[in-house]
Amino acid sequence: MNFDHIDIIQSTIDGVLFGSIYALIGLGFTLIFGAMHKLNMAYAASGIAGAYTGLMSLTILGMPVLMAFIIGPVTAGLIGLLLYFACFRFMPRGNQLAPLMASIGALFFIDELIIHETSGSPMSFPAVLPDAYFFLGEFGIRGDLLMVMGFSFILMAIVMLLLYRTKLGLGTRATSQQPVAALLCGIPTHRTNGTTFVLAGVLGGFAGCLLAASVGVLSPLLVLPLTIKGLIVTVIGGLGSIRGAIIAGFAVGAAEGVFLLVRGVNERDIYVFLLLFLFLVFRPNGLFGTTINRD
Amino acid sequence: MLSVNNLVTSYGLIKALKGVSLEAKEGAVTCILGPNGAGKTTLMFTLAGILAPDSGTVSLLEHNLTGLGAPKVLRQGLALVPENRLVFADMSVHENLLAGAFTQSRAMAAQVNDDIDKMYARFPILKARHDQPAGTLSGGEQQMLALARALMSRPSILLMDEPSVGLSPLIVDEIFAIIKQLNKDGMSILLVEQNATKALQVADYFYLLDQGKVAFSGTPDQLKNDDVIKRAYLGGG
Repeated sequence: MNFDHIDIIQSTIDGVLFGSIYALIGLGFTLIFGAMHKLNMAYAASGIAGAYTGLMSLTILGMPVLMAFIIGPVTAGLIGLLLYFACFRFMPRGNQLAPLMASIGALFFIDELIIHETSGSPMSFPAVLPDAYFFLGEFGIRGDLLMVMGFSFILMAIVMLLLYRTKLGLGTRATSQQPVAALLCGIPTHRTNGTTFVLAGVLGGFAGCLLAASVGVLSPLLVLPLTIKGLIVTVIGGLGSIRGAIIAGFAVGAAEGVFLLVRGVNERDIYVFLLLFLFLVFRPNGLFGTTINRD
Repeated sequence: MLSVNNLVTSYGLIKALKGVSLEAKEGAVTCILGPNGAGKTTLMFTLAGILAPDSGTVSLLEHNLTGLGAPKVLRQGLALVPENRLVFADMSVHENLLAGAFTQSRAMAAQVNDDIDKMYARFPILKARHDQPAGTLSGGEQQMLALARALMSRPSILLMDEPSVGLSPLIVDEIFAIIKQLNKDGMSILLVEQNATKALQVADYFYLLDQGKVAFSGTPDQLKNDDVIKRAYLGGG
């Protein structure tokens, strides 16, 4: 195989642009982990499920393409709330395994539901900005991926504003740091946790729609890889770290782009998993992870 | 003012409180003494609504607080400064105080800002550190922050769970001076403390909690003259 530095930079650009989807998924995982110190394994699946409902609003109801980007995230947010009640809210406190296993169950449930409803065959998702392509000197930039990135930045900015500039955000952060003290401050912690699941779900729905729009297809085969990439991003960024998840999302995207160029599509994921392995061995707290100690 | 009647609370199968009754009078400092494992923190958590009792009642100024849950108990005017302070470590001092005012409605924003200024006047060190993460504060400063955070809800009674734990003697003196001043300003206080000597300087009435039951109650003079307590808590016989 022949490639030069221009190819590598081009692959990195493509990877970073695509990585904004990983950053969104990682952000959702980390928001939920931050709130409850538990992983919601069904999270990426709920995002894909949201994207499916968005797509169905186009194919069945004949709505304009943009509606998919409203209906998808809204449904994903509702699924998030449902997952909160089904897998987290009423699980015995102190049993860490129960919500984890319940959410893995929900992951397979959603996955099977999608396979059942679509007979397992991929459905094409309308491309947004299919012909837009820009040149930046020697490098090309896909317009739709640029849109994905712009969209992601807007969503991240909204999340940051919600978390750091509103009373709801204050309550959410307080609950995440000291749930008992948050209760003592009169913060309804169950409600803030539920809200976090909805917010993360909406992000996942956007990520699912953006992924489908940039790949051009929705398939049940997207569920597991997106779950795993999301977890990798969350771990590399540092569990519970918001800026970690965002930076790791772009970084994993970039690494994936370069691995794709150097080793091809068949081996790409091997190297991404190797990256996860290296992080778990040498930097288990991730890029920005704080040592997790909470009552 | 705060009256607790025959309170029973259990952790799983273990009964931590086996029928506790006590009374905290308005404008007074009431102190609960007791060894580790006596159920003091369980009692505080039950009063504050973090734990639900199996039976018994808690009422504050004729309002029944039993089983309301922490946010509603706080709205009724009972605030707890928890053991080990539990400040929001990654949030600034200012944000910790805002979190303390979480139950105040948006319309009260001006009053909340006023209250924060009052806290800064009472605890100048918090003003100096207002934009620092609470986790970077010293133990004594965190205790003051936890106390100020609880006061932000404008409680009618303040519960404090071992405010002196893990602090140096000089800082403990300072904390007790603050408690005394707060009480002088009209705050009713229910204090859990292991340091009986310090507690005697501020408290008007004592309860001794042992193995989930009230083993003794009385005034400071009665406490000082009780042989068993003298030996166990005040050092010397």
